Amino acid sequence: MYSINDGRESSKDRPHNAEGGGSVSPNGAGLQQALERLQQENTRLRQQLELVKKEQTEYLQNVSHQLVAPLNAIKWHIENLTAGRLNEDRIRKVLRSIYSQSTLAVHLAKNFALMSNLEADHALSALREPLETIDLCRLMVNLADDFQPLGWDRGLSITVADYPLKSAPPVLAIKPLISQVFSNVLENAVKYSEKGSEILISGGHNSQEQTVSVSVSNRGIPLPVPETNRVFDRGYRSPEARNLYPAGTGFGMYIARRIVEIHEGTIEAKNDKSGRVTFTVTLSVSKLEGKTRKRGAKDSTNRR
Amino acid sequence: MQKTVLIVDDEQGMIEALEDGLVSEGYRVLKAVTAEEALQILKAEHVHLATVDIMLPQGASLEPRIDSHKTGMLLCKTIRQNYPRVDVFCLSVISDYDTISAVQGMGVRFFKKGETPLRTVLDIIRSRLTGIAYSEERDAKRWDR
Repeated sequence: MYSINDGRESSKDRPHNAEGGGSVSPNGAGLQQALERLQQENTRLRQQLELVKKEQTEYLQNVSHQLVAPLNAIKWHIENLTAGRLNEDRIRKVLRSIYSQSTLAVHLAKNFALMSNLEADHALSALREPLETIDLCRLMVNLADDFQPLGWDRGLSITVADYPLKSAPPVLAIKPLISQVFSNVLENAVKYSEKGSEILISGGHNSQEQTVSVSVSNRGIPLPVPETNRVFDRGYRSPEARNLYPAGTGFGMYIARRIVEIHEGTIEAKNDKSGRVTFTVTLSVSKLEGKTRKRGAKDSTNRR
Repeated sequence: MQKTVLIVDDEQGMIEALEDGLVSEGYRVLKAVTAEEALQILKAEHVHLATVDIMLPQGASLEPRIDSHKTGMLLCKTIRQNYPRVDVFCLSVISDYDTISAVQGMGVRFFKKGETPLRTVLDIIRSRLTGIAYSEERDAKRWDR
């Protein structure tokens, strides 16, 4: 996969080299060579731009497909409700379904908005939003509540193991971003879990490293072996995932990784012997102190 | 006689909403989440009409493996060939013109999710299964009520 950053970095370096070549040998041959190099570079960049454009178009189509699905379900549910086609018991279930379909749509829309911001943040390795102290246990309980209805149909349960996560200190991070990391991980867990299985959220504090880890583990299709880390690649979806759920952008885990990297944390994915898949996010308690730009401070993006 | 409709789709919300609508109209509803399940049901059950999504999981043991973006199209083709008495139409979010026209070329009617009211789908299913003509005008009046 090509990332937008590849283009940025090389466009900064290469024309500079080419210029240098031209000024050292001002004769015709040197200029000719420099010109050829520039032309090659130009062709290469143009091809890369085409790829990025194609990727973006595909991404947009993919997102719109995925948004239409839950929205259409909501529309049809409401049609059933207003047309009086449902009995009381069914009405309750349908309202619940509308709720979880909306959760999905909102979740997807958030990822969509994050995509563009993240690329910018990463290039600057700067944090544009204010840091907050976050109680990860509480965050996970809230997210579990949010995603639980999506798992009801397939008999999935989401359990948050309070201890020892509850006693972990809060971490310093950008809340909406970190919340999206875990909702992406949870959404995956719900989507790819076996019927009737349990999704387990646990975590704890490493006092030596001054970090807090949260793991989300589920039983379902395994990660690609041996390169489990490919799930964090931009646009990557394993063949099994593709077959089980043809619609998907392959951006969820990529977004999660980028956000965690901005926070100087780590995210890992593992298959274990008992057939469970575990994603573990580790964040520092205080590493980012003083690193955020204050609200209203001059935006350093202007320098570029 | 009660007619049987098979829903082939992998989106839970969609399946539920369509099933509710169909049940309220008095049909027996069968559901398949993969192409493989759909073929098993078609083999075992007397299905009158099937609605098929385009992007579908193939199922674990159905060979040969094909691109999941084409599974539904291939399923339509298979139904047309092997079960010519089963009426079939597509319900999908895809907007790719080539795929849509390929589906329509098989004589399968295509409905875009998000743009087609459930009422329309139900009316068309009824008209197909009963032979009573479907009228868009009547459809519009229903909304005025």
